[in-house]
Amino acid sequence: MARKRNERRQQSPLITRRQMLGRAGAGFGLLGLAGALAGSRAASAAVPDGLPHIAPRAKRVIFLFMNGAPSHVDTFDPKPALAKHEGEQPTGRHKNRKGGYMPSPFEFRPRGASGVVMSELFSELPACADDLCVIRSMHTDVPNHEPGLLMMHSGNQQPIRPSLGSWVSYGLGTENENLPSYVVLCPGRPVVGPQLWSNSFLPGEFQGTAVDTSDLRVDRLIANLTHPSFSRQDQRRQLDLLARLNDLHRRGRPGDAALDAQIRAMELAFKMQIEASDAFDVTPEPRRIRDMYGESVFGQSCLLARRLAERGVRFIQVYYVTSKSKQPWDTHQDNNGGHRRLCADSDRATAALLVDLKRRGLLDETLVVWGGEFGRTPYAQLGKKNTRPGRDHHHTGFSMFLAGGGVRGGLTYGETDELGMHAVKDTVHVHDLHATILHLLGIDHERLTYRYSGRDFRLTDVHGRVVEGIIA
Amino acid sequence: MISTIVIVGWMAVGAPDPPERLEAAETFWAFEAPRPQLLPAVADRGWPRGRVDAFVLGALEDADLRPAPGAERRALIRRVTLDLIGLPPDPDDVEEFVADRSPTAYEDLVARLLASPHRGERRARMWLDLARYAEDQAHIVGDNKSLFYPNAFRYRDWVIDALNADLPYDDFIRLQLAADLLESDDREDDVALGFIGLGPKYYDRGNPMVKADEWEDRVDTVTRGLLGLTVACARCHDHKYDPISTADYYALAGVFASTEMFNRPLDGKSEEKKDGQAKNPQDSIHIVREGKPVDLNVLVRGDVNQKGPVVERRFLTVLGRDEPSKFEEGSGRRELAEAIVDCDNPLTARVLVNRIWTALVGTPLVGTPSNFGSLGDRPTNQALLDDLAVRFMDSGWSIKWLEREIVLSAAYRQSSRAEERTVTADPDNRLLGRMNRKRLDIEAWRDTLLAVSGHLETTIGGRSIDVRDPDCGRRTVYSEVSRFRLDPMLALFDFPDPNVHAAKRVETTTPLQKLFVLNSPLVARHTELLAGRLVGVETAPGEDVVVARIELAYSLLYSRPPSAAELELGREFVTAAGTPGDAIVWRQYAQVLLASNELFFID
Repeated sequence: MARKRNERRQQSPLITRRQMLGRAGAGFGLLGLAGALAGSRAASAAVPDGLPHIAPRAKRVIFLFMNGAPSHVDTFDPKPALAKHEGEQPTGRHKNRKGGYMPSPFEFRPRGASGVVMSELFSELPACADDLCVIRSMHTDVPNHEPGLLMMHSGNQQPIRPSLGSWVSYGLGTENENLPSYVVLCPGRPVVGPQLWSNSFLPGEFQGTAVDTSDLRVDRLIANLTHPSFSRQDQRRQLDLLARLNDLHRRGRPGDAALDAQIRAMELAFKMQIEASDAFDVTPEPRRIRDMYGESVFGQSCLLARRLAERGVRFIQVYYVTSKSKQPWDTHQDNNGGHRRLCADSDRATAALLVDLKRRGLLDETLVVWGGEFGRTPYAQLGKKNTRPGRDHHHTGFSMFLAGGGVRGGLTYGETDELGMHAVKDTVHVHDLHATILHLLGIDHERLTYRYSGRDFRLTDVHGRVVEGIIA
Repeated sequence: MISTIVIVGWMAVGAPDPPERLEAAETFWAFEAPRPQLLPAVADRGWPRGRVDAFVLGALEDADLRPAPGAERRALIRRVTLDLIGLPPDPDDVEEFVADRSPTAYEDLVARLLASPHRGERRARMWLDLARYAEDQAHIVGDNKSLFYPNAFRYRDWVIDALNADLPYDDFIRLQLAADLLESDDREDDVALGFIGLGPKYYDRGNPMVKADEWEDRVDTVTRGLLGLTVACARCHDHKYDPISTADYYALAGVFASTEMFNRPLDGKSEEKKDGQAKNPQDSIHIVREGKPVDLNVLVRGDVNQKGPVVERRFLTVLGRDEPSKFEEGSGRRELAEAIVDCDNPLTARVLVNRIWTALVGTPLVGTPSNFGSLGDRPTNQALLDDLAVRFMDSGWSIKWLEREIVLSAAYRQSSRAEERTVTADPDNRLLGRMNRKRLDIEAWRDTLLAVSGHLETTIGGRSIDVRDPDCGRRTVYSEVSRFRLDPMLALFDFPDPNVHAAKRVETTTPLQKLFVLNSPLVARHTELLAGRLVGVETAPGEDVVVARIELAYSLLYSRPPSAAELELGREFVTAAGTPGDAIVWRQYAQVLLASNELFFID
């Protein structure tokens, strides 16, 4: 499917796919009407031109989001100096913390041929070490969940901008016209909620399609996917009649592409009932594969993400949220116990996803991103008596990793200071991460714009720089 | 012309010399007050029914085009009824109108529709979009609902009532910005302050940066919503294209920095906190009150830590004939309202005229309804816009007058089918050589569903509803509107994100929308009810019951009888061998008609 799209784009350089959609004034999936609709409407100013701006390295993104923010000094950024300074107070704006610096109890080792370092919390991921590009020098603007989440998703702290996934959908459209281009998988809701996958001022077709993974039965996952009582044959009869009636209606109203668009969307919906039923159903996967990902909701969601990726969904966001917590990684108490449990689950599912994508030849064209809204303090947060120490929110230095999709595997990029407090070398701001993700998808972040409220907006606002050093 | 402080603000961020830009502003169309226009000479003198038509025809004739013929009566009554009250016409009303030989049949119909209380429900939603009306916040920490607006519906109902009462638009604005500051014996209208008072409250709102974000929301909603100017662009730097400086921005932001969000207790019965606010939001109306008056520093590049010079609260420089004087009374909200509705303000009337025009006609006069600045579109017919704007103010800012003026025009009454030559020459219909074929928005679509299934409840006002509840018959304007989790059906059908002012609705066409039409419980329920109506039709002895049912369906849904071909297709469908029984096959047939393009579009 994907290949077909690209060929089509190359064959008709004069009219891009996006212009076509603009002319149709309509949603995804109008490619089939290309011939019929060409030239029937003036091109919309809303549609980006000239894409891809650069040769794309990745076709799609799977963003594994660890809600609540994982601790970098316990996962990918070892800080032996914390032991030396244990209990000492941090300085500057961090001073007067009762807990003082807290070393990680976890052992770190270089893994794979490349020697990417990770802690003992990961037992499966080391097998993928040579595919990982760990960024140790991430930083963001604020240490609070809501604005931090919004920043990581939309490049702005307030809920007034389109999300990364919406920008990508807007820029690249869908590879599979029978499925939404941007799918969000989450059991229940993360903190902040639907604003995280909002299209904001971009057209509504670019909003994330949110799927509640609390119940993985396919009819529960997608709203209105099947009729409660009419059979498929019944519906086919209905659609045949509808097509005849719409055709009579259209005959008296020639040249109105909006009428054709509605007709086409109805046919696509009918097809999507089958396609989505298949794409979103993990039960046909062999037991061995389902076990490899783990039985947890996150594990099965990662498996679902792979099914969607191989069917051409452009942007898949998987949230690590549980039935008990909207941000389980927010380990203000018992940081070590929490991370032991959370990493075990995330480790298995993430490694399974990477291995599975690679086996199917999809990892090269799929960018996988792993991380949270920020990191956690290298010093302890003490709660009530008899509770184990936690770590607080920390935004001036933290780790994330990328894999596949044109990034350099086996790379550790950037550094925080001796104590893991601040990113100090090759620093990567959230805007830079966004710019880089778009770049890998063939999009120049400065050129993907949308005219709204009198000016051209972009994901990275006036910021962002592509991190060339991590690109393969 | 310009104060020293403004110049300092300008210099501080290194923008070009301001007088240059203001000079350009003097010749920019939107910053010159609209003037009464001379009617253009037209060749086809028989066509215009009023001033609107003279301008439309003038432009068409200049392009060597001519208007389309008038719409036939069935199309016209369906169009004007959906446009004015958002509901399909009753079949009896259609037949009466078709048979009405009176020369004022159409005028009488329009008068009846404008007097309908359903008109306020229809028009209110336009206002609520631009007021980013909602009943909660995007951020919820835990289960803390203390920042929610459980009585937001009282503001929504005020808007409906005000529109039904045809409250002059200048008063409509005065009350929404400053009802509490106007002399009045009763405080009934204070709920109008929800325009500001239902604005978003962001997470960590005590933080200076977050406060600044909230001011931006207020400035943005007021300036884009009422003035069609993107003043919020000037929060971080002087506006790059319009003569709006950071000083202008902070002069307005100061008004909102001097205003407090206020949960005023409902009469007597509710518990108050020390600060006079209701202890529980559900015992209050969500409005604003005066805070401590404060002039803000310009924040250089929007950075709360980089304070520039202090700017006195005042109106925008570019919209006054003279240098704007500083606001003296409290926050300055009342003075701001007066400056906005001043008849010399070149924008307020034009912006509203354009919004109403677009709602009724389809193609806007200015394609960027909330941006009349230099990056916005130029008017397609400025003489028409200005003439309407001036006469709108002369009418006493009557929105009903404006709607009547538009729908009585020959331009509005044209057929949506035009000569091919017109379509080719003017594909976007900027010259209005035909009527636009418009789509139903989600409100009109769901309300039509309720109306044709016979399940519409006509009560005006009240608490909000779950809009997807199949058993709820209340109109869509009464939907709960959430900033946190916008109802998925509303979101699916292009309802705007209520976190920010919405200039206009984007129209999308997606398979997910059609899945809703095919399979949702809401559509299933109303399909069943409609089928029940069809099957229950009474027939005379000897009358063909299948024909009678199909005819009823067409009259309810499309305001017309079926053609022979349509009758035949319908008969085939419901009588084919192997159909699953009468009740079910009529449901399936009813759903097809509901899913059709004819239902979804207005000719």
